[in-house]
Amino acid sequence: MSSTGVIARKELLDLRRDRLFAVLIGFLAVATLISVGVAAASFRSQLDAYNLYVQQLTASGGTTVPAAPQLFPLQLLRGGVEYLEILGALFAIVLGYGTVAKEKYRGTLQLLLSRPVGRFAIPGGKIVGLAAVWLVVVAALTITTTVAIMVIGNAPLQAIDLVRILIAAVIAWVYLVFWSSLAIGITALSPRLSTGLIVAIVVWLAFVLIIPQIGDTMDPDNQVPGGLFATLHIQKSDELKVLANFAGFDGIRNGVEVSSITKHFERLSFAFLGIKDKYNQQPLGLVWADMWGYAITLTAATFAAVTFAVGVTTRRNLQRKIS
Amino acid sequence: MTNSAIATDALSKSYGSTLALDALSLEVATGEIFGLLGHNGAGKTTTVNLLTTLLAPSRGTAEVAGHSVTAAATEVRRAIGYLPENVQFYDTLTLMENLRFFAQLSGLHRPDQRIRDVLRILDFEGRDRQKLGTFSKGMRQRVGIAQAILHSPSVLFLDEPTSGLDPEGVRTLRETIVRLNTEFGMTIFMNTHLLSEVTKTCTSIAILRGGKLVHQDTLANTLADFPGEDSLEEIYFRLESEPVS
Repeated sequence: MSSTGVIARKELLDLRRDRLFAVLIGFLAVATLISVGVAAASFRSQLDAYNLYVQQLTASGGTTVPAAPQLFPLQLLRGGVEYLEILGALFAIVLGYGTVAKEKYRGTLQLLLSRPVGRFAIPGGKIVGLAAVWLVVVAALTITTTVAIMVIGNAPLQAIDLVRILIAAVIAWVYLVFWSSLAIGITALSPRLSTGLIVAIVVWLAFVLIIPQIGDTMDPDNQVPGGLFATLHIQKSDELKVLANFAGFDGIRNGVEVSSITKHFERLSFAFLGIKDKYNQQPLGLVWADMWGYAITLTAATFAAVTFAVGVTTRRNLQRKIS
Repeated sequence: MTNSAIATDALSKSYGSTLALDALSLEVATGEIFGLLGHNGAGKTTTVNLLTTLLAPSRGTAEVAGHSVTAAATEVRRAIGYLPENVQFYDTLTLMENLRFFAQLSGLHRPDQRIRDVLRILDFEGRDRQKLGTFSKGMRQRVGIAQAILHSPSVLFLDEPTSGLDPEGVRTLRETIVRLNTEFGMTIFMNTHLLSEVTKTCTSIAILRGGKLVHQDTLANTLADFPGEDSLEEIYFRLESEPVS
C-alpha cells in the first residue's frame, strides 16, 4: 500500500473512533432524517386523505373522481439538501481543519514528518481519507432518506427516481469534498491553527450564508411569502414578460448568487431532484442540458480546492507548526 | 565529510534574529552512543530537529548515515529512527495499529511480524490490542522506542528519552538503549539532562552552550582530561562556566 493509502486508512480508523466526528455526523443525520421524515409523513397524510375521500365518494355513489394532488416524492428531499448545503459544509470544514490540527495538538506531527514519505503523501492521504468518509456518510444518508420516503411517505419510487437520487448524492459528495479540502489547505497555510479555522469559517459564512442570501433577497419573487407573482395570480408567461424588463438587474442578482459554490450545489441538486418546478418530471437529458455548466463549475472548484490543499500542505508549512 | 554516522560542518540555525545553533561542527562515529548535553535553550533539540530533517539549516551542512540532510532528506529519514521529547501517539488507535501505521510509512509492507519481534525485544508483548490512550508515560516511551526501531534504522535519535520517567523507567530505557547499540549495532544520538545516565550509557559526549559547541570527545577521554574533577557533573559545570572562545 502506498504512503497515501496508509495515511488515508489511518484517517478512517481515527475518525471512526472520534467522538466529535460521531456527534457531528449524528447531528447531521438526525436533522436530515427528521426533515425528510416530517415531509414524508405530510406527504403520506395528503395521499391518505385523498384516497379516503375517493373511497367515501365512491361508496356514496359518486362517479366524478377529483384529480389526484400533485405530489412528488423527490421534493421531500429539499430539507436534506439544505442541511447538507449549510451544516454539511460547516462540518466538512471542521473535519478538514481537524485532520491537520489534531496532528499538531496530539504531538504526532513530528513522528509523521520524520518518515520517508513523498511530497504528496500527507495531504493526499488526508484528502483521500476524508473523501472516503464523506462517501460513506453521503451513501448512508441517501439510503436512509430514500427508505424514509418509501416507508414513512408510502411513496412508490421509480427507477428513474433512484437515478436522480444517486446523481444528487454524487453532487453532495463532491460539494463536501470541496469544503474539506479547502479547510485542509487553509489550515496548512495559516501560521496559527486557530487562524486557519477562523478564516475557513469566514469563507463558509460568506459563501454559504451571506452571498446566497443576498441573491435571494434581490429576487423580486422572494419579496412576498409564497412568491410575489403567485400571490398576484400572475401567469408564468406574464411573469417572464415582466422579468424581461429587469434583465440587467436579474443578471447582477444571478451573478451574485453563482459567485457562491453553494448556489451551484443547490441549483444542481434542486434541478436533478425536480425540487425546482421548472425541472420537475423533466427528462434527465433536458436537465443536464441546462445544468452542465454548474456541474463543471462545481467539479472544477473541487479540483481547485484539492490542488490548493495538496499544494500548500507542504512539509515546510507543517514544520512551522512544530517550531 | 567522513564515513561517520553523523557529521556536521558549521551547521547553523536562526529563528528570525535569534541564533539557536552557531556553526556546529561535530562527528559521531558509527556504533557510538553519543550524548549531547547542555542547559535548556542550548540548542540540543534544534540540533536533533536539523539532523532528523524536521528543520532546514540556515547555514552549514550535515550528513546522517552518509546522506545530506538537505539534498537527500528522504534517504536520511529512511536511515534513521526518531523518538521526540514527550512522544505522543494516536490515542484512538491500538498499539498494533499505531505501530503498523508508522512501520508502513517507513516502508515495511507486511510489518506485523516485525512489530511482534520489536515488542518482544522491548518486553512488551500481549498489549497490542490496547489503545494507546490507556498507557502510562513509561509505556509510551517504550512504544516510542518501538516505532523508532521498526525499520531497523542505522542511526537512532532520542530527544530527552528519560524525560518524565520514574527511576525504574529510566533504568529499563537505559538497558534498552545499550541493547540496541550492542546487539543491533545502532548508532545512538541522544539529548539528555541526566548526567548520571550519560556516564552509564554514552561512549562519547558533546556539550552545547548558547548554541555553540564547547566540548566534544569520548567519555573516557573527557573524564581523563579533567583529573581534578570527581564526576562528569563537575566537568559539565566547569565547561559550562568557562568563557566561550
